[in-house]
Amino acid sequence: MPKWFNPAAILCGLMFVVSPVLIARAPDESSMGMVYKIYYYHMPSAWMFLLAPLVCGASSALFLARGRPEDDRRAWAAAELTVLFGALTLITGPLWARRAWGTWWVWDARLTSSLVGWMIGWAYLILRRYGGPGSDKLAAGVALFGAVNVPFIYISVNYWRTIHPPTTVVPRLPVEMGVPLWFCVFAFLLLFVLLMTMRLRLEETRTRLDGLYVALDE
Amino acid sequence: MSAPAGGTPFARSVWLVLQKDLTVEVRSREIAYTTLFFAASCVLVFAFALVREGRAPEGGAAGILWIAIVFAGTLALGRTFERERQSETLRALLLSPMPRPAIYVGKLLGIIALLAGTELVLVPLVVFLFNARLFAHPFWLLGIVLGATIGYAAVGTLFAAMLVRARSRDVLLPVLLYPVVVPVIIAGVQGTTALLQPAFDPALVRFWLLLLLAFDVVFVVLALWTFEAVMSD
Amino acid sequence: MAAVRAACVALAIIGSGAPAAIAAQPPEPQDEFRPVGNNPAPEQIPAAPLLIGAYIVVLGGLFAYVVSLSRRLGAVRHDVERLEGELKRRGR
Repeated sequence: MPKWFNPAAILCGLMFVVSPVLIARAPDESSMGMVYKIYYYHMPSAWMFLLAPLVCGASSALFLARGRPEDDRRAWAAAELTVLFGALTLITGPLWARRAWGTWWVWDARLTSSLVGWMIGWAYLILRRYGGPGSDKLAAGVALFGAVNVPFIYISVNYWRTIHPPTTVVPRLPVEMGVPLWFCVFAFLLLFVLLMTMRLRLEETRTRLDGLYVALDE
Repeated sequence: MSAPAGGTPFARSVWLVLQKDLTVEVRSREIAYTTLFFAASCVLVFAFALVREGRAPEGGAAGILWIAIVFAGTLALGRTFERERQSETLRALLLSPMPRPAIYVGKLLGIIALLAGTELVLVPLVVFLFNARLFAHPFWLLGIVLGATIGYAAVGTLFAAMLVRARSRDVLLPVLLYPVVVPVIIAGVQGTTALLQPAFDPALVRFWLLLLLAFDVVFVVLALWTFEAVMSD
Repeated sequence: MAAVRAACVALAIIGSGAPAAIAAQPPEPQDEFRPVGNNPAPEQIPAAPLLIGAYIVVLGGLFAYVVSLSRRLGAVRHDVERLEGELKRRGR
């Protein structure tokens, strides 16, 4: 692991420990009361859930263009993070919605396209696991379509029939709500980088292992 | 078989691929008939499953139509490329000096033709079984159906071609294809539903049609680039 | 390149569809969060279990993934060491 990993991991851990304190001190919201505070973890998860497929798609495009295994490894790692952060977003969202909207789920553009994006992440992982040889390139092709879905998810909430809050919420946050939010965003971003690094290290070690098996057989 | 004398090399290649597929299909008619029958069975199964008090559900027509097209299309894609795999014709095409995008476009047009043929029977069937006045606005209907079919076929042709040599390709095609084309199918269903509204609103239908057009352009362009990149090794 | 041109055309077409997209709209969702003054929220479903549940899910999920990664990494590293030992034994 690189030298900055351990200090960064400690910092990240501390930030996560501190975050509930900051969140508890934030004020309640006028129409949703206390339950809106799920947002402090829901939104950073959602942003990571949107970031991961973009990283996956970009790495996949590079992999298809240049054929370098590092790009493929990065794409696979990003796909796993898509599924992880997608799951967190799609669980915390309905928990909040149950109280705020009175229903667990609505089939609006934002939620539907998010669910679709999450499923594309799963499709990528299933393909890598069960597709046999050559599935690295095939998965890269799928990842491109997943990446194209992301801008659609983001802007859909501004243009379509929905009760999900639009993207104007974040820029208009008052300071007492903004500080814990950006603190959590930074914590999640740091975590994203750490998880990517770990996952990449796993893949690199696996490649080394394959090389050793081949060397042993000779 | 002969290519038309004029036209660019690209167009001639597309025509060659398309003509090959159509000729093979016309001689055996295997995929066309079986796809058609499967699609019709789908519609019937849904109709039976959703019947209440002897009548089929009012708002179900659009959804059932598109589910049948999606399922039948998946089968057709799988079988078309299985045929290619068995005779190794896809590899032969890739080894030929034909531009790769032309191979993709040729296959795509073939799949669209197959699906269009299926829809030619399916839409009247749905109109009949569900009393759905789809033919009230025939040009809008044509636009919506064609728009969604092209989007679906664009991604389907790419993924089916990519999976030709993969393991578990039969089950992987739906796993990969369905999440990606969900937006197209939703737009198709919403557009078809808009056509069935008692108070017809052309602006709403035009919106879904424009959205389908946008999807089609994005998906075809992306598929063209991806086909080139993935199929070369 | 043809692909770049085609992509620009795609973007132009999507952009032209946007005004039509804004056409049919629902009741406005709240577009900003306002901190509470002193009004208590009406009690429907208790918020605390949902709130605590959400945080447990996130922290638990992240922790589980980190543990899974560590385990996988440990297993692979163990195999690497074993094989490297093998190779050394065989004098390569």
